[in-house]
Amino acid sequence: MTGADPGPAGPAGPAARDPTDPEEGDPGLARERTSLSWTRTAISFAALGGVVLKANVITGLIILAVSPLVWQLGRLSRGGPPGAPLSAVSGRRILLITVSVVGVALLSLIIAVLGPSVPGALHIRP
Amino acid sequence: MSRSGRFAAWLPGGTPDDEDGTEPDPRFTFANERTFLAWSRTALALVVAGLGIVQLLPPFPGVPAGRHLLGVPLIVLGAVLAVTAYAEWVRNQRALRRGDPLPRSVMPWILAATVAGMALISAIVLLISAIR
Repeated sequence: MTGADPGPAGPAGPAARDPTDPEEGDPGLARERTSLSWTRTAISFAALGGVVLKANVITGLIILAVSPLVWQLGRLSRGGPPGAPLSAVSGRRILLITVSVVGVALLSLIIAVLGPSVPGALHIRP
Repeated sequence: MSRSGRFAAWLPGGTPDDEDGTEPDPRFTFANERTFLAWSRTALALVVAGLGIVQLLPPFPGVPAGRHLLGVPLIVLGAVLAVTAYAEWVRNQRALRRGDPLPRSVMPWILAATVAGMALISAIVLLISAIR
């Protein structure tokens, strides 16, 4: 199961064209959906930065700073260098995101193991 | 070979920008990218959950390491999920370039095993905490 499933029409080529597909009239919709997906990812980074901010201010600010960078990467998804294959352009952005997520996870692990905690911050008083 | 290609060489599935094959329909490349981004957000959600458990939950009575037992694996699995998502993106893009069938994804299996495992550990920690 993958979200990249192109459907029964097959992965590529003229035979894959479906005249009833709205994107045949406006292929930019796929680009727009992808751009929105990048925005959601940027918001996710901001949310994580907010949580970490409560535990460690400097690390939280670093993660928060990643958020606009991700958003900027998403804006770049509207178009790469002229003539560059989309796979290669996409690959560089995706590698950056992978490195960012792994870096954020490592920072979080260090904070979780070594950092100060606020035990009971989520404790609900009756 | 591009930087992403060199990194991907360490991962299963080879590189996305192989010389063989043709550039696929941009819509499929975008769809592959959105799938990767969705898994990245899932990975970030696991990291947030793990950090929240360790940093914000009250300690479990009788289980001093309970919060770390629940939170640390979630953070580690978040990192694993992010790297696996990249490997899957590479494999899918390669299949799209070659016109091959898309490979079976291991990500749902990893996520299901994670959720089931964490539910089991949570139940055990809560039971021990309640007994003591």
